[in-house]
Amino acid sequence: MKILLDKISFDIETYIRNGGYLAIKKAFSMKPAEIIEEVKTSNLRGRGGAGFPTGLKWSFIPADKKNKYLVCNSDESEPGTFKDRELINKNPHSLLEGMIIAAYAIGANEGYIYIRGEFAKEARILEKAIYEAKKKWFLGENILKSGFSFNIKVVRGAGAYICGEETALLESIEGKKGQPRLKPPFPAIVGLYGGPTVINNVETLATVPWIILNGGKAYSAIGKGKSSGTKLFSVSGPVKKPGVYEIELGTPFKDFFENQLGGMKEGERLKAVIPGGSSVPVLTAEEAMKVTLDYESLQSAGTMLGSGGMIIIPERQCMVEALWILARFYHHESCGQCTPCREGTGWIEGILKRILQGKGKREDLNNAKEIAQNMMGKTICPLADALAMPVISYINKFEKEFVYHLEGKCPLCQK
Amino acid sequence: MSFMPKIKIDGKEYIAKENETILQCAQRNGIYIPRYCYHPSLSIAGNCRMCLVEIEKMPKLQTACSTIVAEGMNVFTSSEKVKKARKDVLEFLLKNHPIDCPICDQAGECYLQDYYMDYGLRKSRVSLNEKVRRGKRRQLGDYLILDNERCILCTRCVRFCEEVTKTSELFVANRGDHSFIDIKPETSLNNPYSLNIADICPVGAFTSADFRFRQRVWFLKTTESICLGCATGCRIKVQHNDNTVYRILPLPNEETNTWLCDFGRMTYKEMYSEDRLNHITIESQEFGLDLDKVFDYIKEVKPQEIAVFLSPNLSIEDNIALYYFASNVLKTENIFIPSLPERKIEDGILKNSDPYPNSTGIEIIANKLKLKKDEKTSEKFALVISSLEIAKTYARDSKGIFFSLTKSDMNGAIVPMKSYFENEGTFVNWQKYARKTTVSVVNEKAFSVFDVMKRLAVLFGSNSFFSSLKDIEKFISSNGIDKEFK
Ligand SMILES: Cc1cc2nc3c(=O)[nH]c(=O)nc-3n(C[C@H](O)[C@H](O)[C@H](O)COP(=O)(O)O)c2cc1C
Ligand code: SF4
Ligand code: SF4
Ligand code: SF4
Ligand code: FES
Repeated sequence: MKILLDKISFDIETYIRNGGYLAIKKAFSMKPAEIIEEVKTSNLRGRGGAGFPTGLKWSFIPADKKNKYLVCNSDESEPGTFKDRELINKNPHSLLEGMIIAAYAIGANEGYIYIRGEFAKEARILEKAIYEAKKKWFLGENILKSGFSFNIKVVRGAGAYICGEETALLESIEGKKGQPRLKPPFPAIVGLYGGPTVINNVETLATVPWIILNGGKAYSAIGKGKSSGTKLFSVSGPVKKPGVYEIELGTPFKDFFENQLGGMKEGERLKAVIPGGSSVPVLTAEEAMKVTLDYESLQSAGTMLGSGGMIIIPERQCMVEALWILARFYHHESCGQCTPCREGTGWIEGILKRILQGKGKREDLNNAKEIAQNMMGKTICPLADALAMPVISYINKFEKEFVYHLEGKCPLCQK
Repeated sequence: MSFMPKIKIDGKEYIAKENETILQCAQRNGIYIPRYCYHPSLSIAGNCRMCLVEIEKMPKLQTACSTIVAEGMNVFTSSEKVKKARKDVLEFLLKNHPIDCPICDQAGECYLQDYYMDYGLRKSRVSLNEKVRRGKRRQLGDYLILDNERCILCTRCVRFCEEVTKTSELFVANRGDHSFIDIKPETSLNNPYSLNIADICPVGAFTSADFRFRQRVWFLKTTESICLGCATGCRIKVQHNDNTVYRILPLPNEETNTWLCDFGRMTYKEMYSEDRLNHITIESQEFGLDLDKVFDYIKEVKPQEIAVFLSPNLSIEDNIALYYFASNVLKTENIFIPSLPERKIEDGILKNSDPYPNSTGIEIIANKLKLKKDEKTSEKFALVISSLEIAKTYARDSKGIFFSLTKSDMNGAIVPMKSYFENEGTFVNWQKYARKTTVSVVNEKAFSVFDVMKRLAVLFGSNSFFSSLKDIEKFISSNGIDKEFK
């Protein structure tokens, strides 16, 4: 079952031929509240990482207020995640159509797509798609004579991962330094330029047209249990066929790995899997083979579905090195306002580097875990947790490799 | 009627105010929650994470500075979880903090030191070469020095410049543990309120260039007083030791001021200027502290040719002494008040357009005692008695007795006057609050105006002058002057 990457439509003509922009017509015949109900029924959860129920998020927007905004989070900067880029490349109009419906549902007349700065080509694709949609009266004033007006601006990021966090993103659009805001107030009440704002991921929004056309019930029937629908996974690492896949939630990892990814490349053995982007805890090969790819199963395995950025780690990869690279990333990207994250990320990176270089001390392992523990759940945004969780899970699950580095030579990285 | 939520803090029930934060509610009820970034007069940043508290039914600790109270909330401010979190936050704060305490001027009034003793105390697991180094000792304006290595990035200084002075000179440059406080290119930190930054910086990052290294703070004694730098009349704390004033700090109060302006803070320096007067000078000749010489100087002048100008630089008591001397000893009707500037706070912060501390006070006196306003009449008089500053306008060409802190080449008897750090007196600020200065330091080489008038009265052979400040107080209330005060 495919929804997002079912039919590929680079331009608007193809998209329309494939049934595109029918959903907005249907949407305009419904009341905004009915659309929100439909999305609630679908059980669609945010695909940006946190998995927050989309319909519920929309329902927080006060109906009577003016100056409301819809923002599409297309910052996609988490190591291992590249699914939104694929979606924009192959089906840009599904995002625009989803945005028009979402904007109509919440009563926003202005929309923004905040796109990662490095995605220059994708930004151009979106600009072109917006231009095409405007020419066909799907965007602009009084869309299809519905009385509803909506415009979209594309804003390009400038290279900071933290601007993917929704409130840092709003700051960035406003021209300020990208730093998460203290919540509450949540964006649904005080968002962009002070107006009520919904921020959704690309994939989340691109799913909406299908739900409107086929009904929330039909969507909730796809998938497994409370994990409804399909999900994009971007798979990297030495599997035979890395790339972006759309699969039904609830698919066993084993099936996906063997049948779609084709297993490991010749000569490689699977050691570990990061199922949902660099910030979620790692699974050993053994653990991975038991999970199904959905919110609940991954959570009970102690990790998360996250953004769907799946990183396959082979036996030969030194986990100390892998974790240090991760720590270096989070250290570099911490915005630095909260004490535990600002000081903790650099501290951990330093300790890991020392261990990696064979200069570590026995107590470093416990210290690193303790520092990670002390960072967790105490900050303005979850970036601190995004490093802390991997630190704890890597050290716990692959302690042996850390000990190699403490006691002598690592057979894997030869350091 | 506003809604007053009932909440529990550490097991006791309290009635909170609507929309107040846990920190505020706790504080009102005598429960102190440690904080760095929170400041009652700035916006909430919530970045230091020092104020984390436990709230029943919430899995994560919450920042007390930003969490609004809600009915039925059950808060714990010193559970094991909270204590551990504080310890952890302190450890993070000290991770890159230099070992500067012995050479840091904040020592003794540093919130890192204080909280470390109260909530920290853990053996360091960071070696010196692991610390991130940042810039040290940078002069950012006339009064401020910044040591970025000591900064804990609470952003109080940044918010102060954005929200209070609206000059926005400062910002956090870079990010992560390389963040540091920087100043915008081609600006300097010279807004008229800059020294407040040294006060609100909780650590030794911003220090006052004026005060730095002059005294260890634990030697300082404090007296509460008021600033006489303008008609706003801010309440202050005077800090001194061994009969020397070292600095002025604000005494925050709801009526008048949270902050102080830099000018006001520096007013104490006049006491220590090279030109400080410590002897009587008459027509450029020095006469020690012998008031008889002043009497000799004026005794020949006919009382009708003498004019007394009340002065907005002098206290109510000293002005009354002047008035009473003129009306009861000299028996002249030539008692005036000078024309006084308009009083308003033009910058919307504190500084008053009226540079005098007691204009409102002498207006009240003039009103009650039916005195005339200036009329630039001074030229007609042979001799003028007033403070030097007022005399400069009204007695350019006449002789006079002028009270002054510093030397002057005016033509007359210049009498060394005690500053109001050395003397007590009531001043009525522009809001009509009557407040008293306090003696912080002693000066025996100067007089109060009252001392001088009392002695001159004796020399003029009068026995009906006030014998003590108490008499002046009685006069003030019997004439209903203090009824006008707030
Ligand atoms: C450090 C950090 C980076 C994030 N980066 C992204 C991102 O690149 N794209 C994204 O959609 N969400 C990202 N998020 C999650 C967003 O804050 C937000 O939850 C999401 O955009 C909401 O959309 P959704 O409900 O459709 O998932 C990030 C969160 C954090 C804490
Ligand atoms: S957790 Fe880190 S990235 Fe997030 S707001 Fe705090 S310092 Fe910034
Ligand atoms: S200089 Fe002081 S006030 Fe400013 S951020 Fe640093 S610690 Fe806070
Ligand atoms: S505003 Fe006026 S009273 Fe207040 S500190 Fe400044 S000079 Fe003194
Ligand atoms: S005082 Fe609450 S976070 Fe700093």
